[in-house]
Amino acid sequence: MRSERHLGAVLVAPAILVLVGVALLPILLAAGLSLERRLPIFDIAEFVGLANYRFLAFDPRFWVSLRNTVYFTIVSVSLELLLGLAIALLLQRSFRGRGWMRVVVLLPWAIPTVVSARMWEWLYNAEFGLLNYVAALAGLTTQPVNWLGDPFWALHAAIVMDVWKTMPFAAILLLAGLQTIPRDLYQAARVDGANPWQIFRSVTLPLLKPMILVVLLFRTLDAFRVFDAVYVLTGGGPANSTETLSIYTYKVLFQTLQFGYGSALAVVTFAAVALISLLYLKLMGGAYWRRLLG
Amino acid sequence: MRRATRRIAVSLALAAILAGCARSEESSRQTSGPVTVIFKHGKIAGDPALFSSLLRRFEAEHPGIRVRDEILPASTDQQHQFYVISLEGRSSEFDVLSMDVIWVQEFARAGWIRDLSHLLPPHEREEFFSAPIAAVTYEGRAYAVPWYVDAGLLYYRKDLLDRYGFRPPTTWQELVTAAQTILKKENDPGLRGFVWQGKQYEGLICNALEYVWSAGGDVLGEDGRVVLASRQASMALDFMRELIDQQVSPAMVTSADEEATRRLFGEGRAIFLRNWPYAWNLFEREGSPVRGKVGVAQLPSFPGYPPAATLGGWQLGVNRYSRHPKAAEALINFLTSPEIQRWMAVKIGYKPSRKALYRDPELLRAQPFIASLYEIFLLARPRPVSPYYLMLSQVMQPEFSAALVGVKSAEQALSDAERQMSRILFGKGAR
Repeated sequence: MRSERHLGAVLVAPAILVLVGVALLPILLAAGLSLERRLPIFDIAEFVGLANYRFLAFDPRFWVSLRNTVYFTIVSVSLELLLGLAIALLLQRSFRGRGWMRVVVLLPWAIPTVVSARMWEWLYNAEFGLLNYVAALAGLTTQPVNWLGDPFWALHAAIVMDVWKTMPFAAILLLAGLQTIPRDLYQAARVDGANPWQIFRSVTLPLLKPMILVVLLFRTLDAFRVFDAVYVLTGGGPANSTETLSIYTYKVLFQTLQFGYGSALAVVTFAAVALISLLYLKLMGGAYWRRLLG
Repeated sequence: MRRATRRIAVSLALAAILAGCARSEESSRQTSGPVTVIFKHGKIAGDPALFSSLLRRFEAEHPGIRVRDEILPASTDQQHQFYVISLEGRSSEFDVLSMDVIWVQEFARAGWIRDLSHLLPPHEREEFFSAPIAAVTYEGRAYAVPWYVDAGLLYYRKDLLDRYGFRPPTTWQELVTAAQTILKKENDPGLRGFVWQGKQYEGLICNALEYVWSAGGDVLGEDGRVVLASRQASMALDFMRELIDQQVSPAMVTSADEEATRRLFGEGRAIFLRNWPYAWNLFEREGSPVRGKVGVAQLPSFPGYPPAATLGGWQLGVNRYSRHPKAAEALINFLTSPEIQRWMAVKIGYKPSRKALYRDPELLRAQPFIASLYEIFLLARPRPVSPYYLMLSQVMQPEFSAALVGVKSAEQALSDAERQMSRILFGKGAR
């Protein structure tokens, strides 16, 4: 018994070592760096304690980027879930060409983010963009809408792009979840005279809940750390209206080489992400994980 | 006993290896070759075979030096990031690097690039435009050699201006009047007045400073203090905002970069364009809708002040950790020589950093357009020459953008920017 436990420890040791090396160590190093004023260009490396965090608390640009990030995350993840669910329900029905539809729906997810961001940049272009062209044809607008150059529209334009791109991910996961719901439950519900809405409310939704939470967890974490899509689309502008936490951190770390403060921003982002994960794990409940892990 | 023998054998072997290394290093120093110089740069315009042929020519002229060029990603932000990470990591994997005009101060201050003052003695400096020389000079020493230059230009539609009797504008107000009149008389719903780069990025700084400078404002004063929040600068940013409000410029400029505006103008859909010299060759290309209809002028100014163009362009420097600094310098001397600059201007369209070439008959025959650039490059101004520049730019970008899209008044944006910039330069704003 004891030797078996020993063997177990030996067998998981490599995995734990790798995790420590690639996950824990960098986090600790970043946390250490965040306590320094570190400017390699000026040969400055001094321990400043929590000064970077104090600076951060009063840095309006940080708060703006946090607000942008939270708004982006909430709106885009909600839309992705709703649309993904609708598409999953649609794809679950059998109709001619369903196989093709499933492939087509996945396409946006398969395109590299930077490529799709460039594509959307042209779609949104106020002068040549397809979007304004269609809007004008349909008589919806008289003046071209300045999608990416207006502080109100730009963040929403980024959200629409993100929803378009990652909704397939939600749809496919939810579709997989739907497939696992036993058919006889639906039959039983119909025998009992339940209407489609009641079936959805009482059979589909409760049984899909674990998968919904998984989708929410993954998508929230991704959306909260969004970088490449928005960076390529707008660079954070206009007037920082689309600057997310990751974009701000990138600019501080790699464009202006303020390693100490950049690390403080990274640590705060990490803390927020960890908090969100914990929240979801709590929502999912222990029972779910026990079942999942057998 | 046996152990001792082995130890002796090992140390003898080690000594032999070390001696071998030392000898081969010595001999390579004596014969000065063959060494391979690695040259990092962004994508070179035109056919890659052209630039390759140039490097082969260098190798032929310098037996014993081979050059391998390695192309960095197209985005200058990514190039900067590559250099920063490699140089901070003391990488000796490349020898010669090409730098945007705004990086040299930073790299020199960090001690990442070699002092190249001996390549630019005073009489040699005189040969170059003064703005790029200022940009590569840090605390009196030169850290890079200007390779080719860029500056903001005003492109205009000759045909449209002629049709309504306008001359190229010399003041911003003249530009507005011309644009408004032509827009009204042409009455073409697809036609726009004046397009420029107002997206929140480095290009916005280049554009905005041209208005600020041509109104008599500046970013840093003689004493190095921040003087951005001035009446002149405020008027300049207000003017940019008014260009949009009065529909002289389409709203799209607040998200536009060089290519978006170049395309609009290139399709014949704008009267005026602010852009860099690269656009010219594209407008004059076979099949271009504006071919033969485009003129180039100095950017306008506000009454009573001289016009200003933001300096761009690339400089060549040597990695501090390079193992072949002499060979690297030879390559830089070659690439920045008058002959090669002329060759690059003719074949690739890059504008020489040496003044004399703008009177060179051979070059003028091949590229008559280049004559009109001389005065502009002569007056071009570098963005604030400071190792803190990238930090200052990161502060100015969102503030200028906020003034353009009307989130803040110009006055507020400028004073917000000035406060943060002062804190970076003189306080603990850089962290």
